[in-house]
Amino acid sequence: MKSKFAGSLLVNGMLAVICLLWTIPTFGLLVSSFRDRIDVNTSGWWTIFPHQDWVSVQEVTPDASVNRDVPMTFKADSGTSVTAPFEQLQIGVEKDGYRFQWIGNRRVGYLEIQKYTWTSNTNFTLENYKQVLSSGNYTAALKDGTTETALGDNMTHAFLNSVAVAVPATVIPIALAAFAAYGFAWMKFPGRKMLFALVVGLLVIPLQIALIPILKDYVALHVNGTFLAVWLAHTGFGLPLATYLMFNYISELPRDILEAAFVDGASHFTIFTQLIVPLSVPALASFAIFQFLWVWNDYLVALIFIGASPTNQLITQRLAEIVGSRGQDWHLLTAGAFITMILPLAVFFGLQRYFVRGMMAGSVKG
Amino acid sequence: MKTSRVLWSVLSVLLLGSMLMAACAPAAAPTAAPADTAAPAATSAPAATVAPAATTAPAATTAAKPAATGSFLDRAMAGEFKGTTVTATGPFVDQDAQKFAATMADFQAKTGITIQYQGSKEFEASIKAAMDAGNAPDVIDFPQPGLLASFAKQGKITDLSKQLDVAAVKANYNPYWIDQSMMPGKDGTPIMAGIWERVNGKGFVYYPKKAFDAAGYKVPTTFAELTTLEDQMVKDGSTPWCIGIESGAATGWVATDWIENIMLRTTTPENYDAWVAGKLPFSSPEVTNAAKIMASIWQNPKYVYGGTATIVKTSFGDSTLPMFDAKGPKCFMNMNGNFITSFFPATAKAGVDYGAFYFPPIDPKYGSPMEVAGDIWGATNTKPEVMAVMQYFTKAEHLKVWMQQGGAIAPQKDADLSWYGSDIDRVVGGAIVNAGTLRFDGSDAMPGAVGAGTFWKEMTSFVSGAEDLPTALKNIDASWPK
Repeated sequence: MKSKFAGSLLVNGMLAVICLLWTIPTFGLLVSSFRDRIDVNTSGWWTIFPHQDWVSVQEVTPDASVNRDVPMTFKADSGTSVTAPFEQLQIGVEKDGYRFQWIGNRRVGYLEIQKYTWTSNTNFTLENYKQVLSSGNYTAALKDGTTETALGDNMTHAFLNSVAVAVPATVIPIALAAFAAYGFAWMKFPGRKMLFALVVGLLVIPLQIALIPILKDYVALHVNGTFLAVWLAHTGFGLPLATYLMFNYISELPRDILEAAFVDGASHFTIFTQLIVPLSVPALASFAIFQFLWVWNDYLVALIFIGASPTNQLITQRLAEIVGSRGQDWHLLTAGAFITMILPLAVFFGLQRYFVRGMMAGSVKG
Repeated sequence: MKTSRVLWSVLSVLLLGSMLMAACAPAAAPTAAPADTAAPAATSAPAATVAPAATTAPAATTAAKPAATGSFLDRAMAGEFKGTTVTATGPFVDQDAQKFAATMADFQAKTGITIQYQGSKEFEASIKAAMDAGNAPDVIDFPQPGLLASFAKQGKITDLSKQLDVAAVKANYNPYWIDQSMMPGKDGTPIMAGIWERVNGKGFVYYPKKAFDAAGYKVPTTFAELTTLEDQMVKDGSTPWCIGIESGAATGWVATDWIENIMLRTTTPENYDAWVAGKLPFSSPEVTNAAKIMASIWQNPKYVYGGTATIVKTSFGDSTLPMFDAKGPKCFMNMNGNFITSFFPATAKAGVDYGAFYFPPIDPKYGSPMEVAGDIWGATNTKPEVMAVMQYFTKAEHLKVWMQQGGAIAPQKDADLSWYGSDIDRVVGGAIVNAGTLRFDGSDAMPGAVGAGTFWKEMTSFVSGAEDLPTALKNIDASWPK
């Protein structure tokens, strides 16, 4: 009994350590998203935690007339006094627990008297999120008290666009695949096996080779740049896998239930809606999660079929663009990434139990 | 089962909601687009107030006779193409796209032509796909002429010399720009494939003006003065240069810019052209000499903030930040194109917190040559409203608002230096207009395998110390496509 407890403690402890290691980068990203660009550049995110460092307690700017080429004398308020040449002060002279540190250039710099003490870096800001989320011009308050007008990145709009794309692009293929899977599994018609083999065969066709031909068709049909184009593309490329997964699950349902329903005079449609769909919720939900995450995170399909139209842009496209033409706004990426992550995380945690169940859907024969 | 019912109802509500949104979206798009472009004009004072009476007057007179003849631009200004739309694409997004909208607002208001610009960060990939699918916009902004040249060769680009008044275009540009816009067409004869709209000057050194002046440093005008200044800074306990060449997959391009600038200052423009064309090898004394001059600065650990080893690890944008450290500049000079100012802290003000000077001539024999880069627009059809836009690009006036807001340098001769909103842009703009020798960024004009490949990589290897100079240069020569 005791060894079992120790064993589970070991396993859980290991898992906790791995989880912690795994989460650290994300946590650092989260912290950075609340920090100013200059702060991110000059100090690590971990400096938000209390740590010991040299902290300035007094600043002395010597008069311009002071000759800096000979040893200079500085006196701290505490009475400690130091006489040293510039070269030494630049490295730092320690005395009585103080450090006399020259900052900057010999001609225009100044002396900082520092003490080794506990400090933490807690300059947090919401500016990154504000700029990423606002639309149109937005005014940011700068550190020196002035303001700067910048163009907001309007990820709010892109977020809603992404929802508008991801939900139908998830529901449509699942609905079609469930019907098809039922047909393949329980209806008898000529050529059934051939058709099913064809569907499974389509699994190996990569999306990339079809991009340009489909784009040509979309241009001819004038649907390029619309959400419909993306729904159809995701539906088409999601269907083979969806059909295959749903077939595996539905064909394993007990034959007795269906036969009983047939005997009672139920039509195929009644059986499908009343029996098959309720029984297949785990498989439906698990595929829905996969498909939703795939569509949400998709960049390529959106880039090709929606293009850069600002009104229809999806969140992945916006995220790629918020850094600016030359990457000068890299500091917004952290905030943008967390906004992009919210929904997939919510979906994952909300439907987690289906996720695990669904990964095994059709793979374990009972 | 209860949870699944809730799930289904949530799903169906979401589905209905998104269908509704989608149904509304296309309807909303056309109305939203003009509103977007109109907004900057209304809010930015310069657009409204600067718009000179002189330009509105001719438009008013020609408007009296709607069946106007003359150039496409005159006809557009007369309102002949009112209600048409010109679609545009390019690599610039966000703020630059907004500035473009602001600078074109006046044109749209006067002509009634709507310009729909859709920028993309993945410009090269998306424009190739759009071209293949026959879905290309009317006008396209190419940040490098190479891609435009490849489309011109495929016969997909309009020959502007057959559409526009070539003499008028030539009169408004330094001949070098015109040469650089002539590219072989489908049958191999050169066509005028594009219009240089706005350009960059490279080879300017940015410095933290306030501390620089306070320390009593003087802007160097010769290479010897620069060396004296560097040594003075070292003596004063500072580091002269902020250098970083990290840029993701493009790491190393900063080094190529340095070499090109030094080449122009140490040898003839003809040698430079031969080098870009592949006739003067990298291992030649001229190129080796340029690389050695660069190395004399870069490989002096006292000259570079953080030492030579950090050069390849520091992003070119971040490398400028120590100049603006809250505790005073940690390094004093950074050489880059004028776009680098967008990496400076938002609080840094041009002309006050930072200034720029021309990287001094090295050999006085070669004067003050100028390395440039720029945006060239090509057209994919000959629709009159499209040609009107292209003709508008040949006039500096179209760039006025952007010049005022900062970040754009006009190559057109009719640009007025007083239009620039910042002193630094004025310095760069003036230098471009006055430069005797203009030369395009050599690495942009070399074959991609070299200019955007081995030249970057081998220079990075050399700077990081992984290779010595002769090996690096020999490797670049070996990679030149035969």
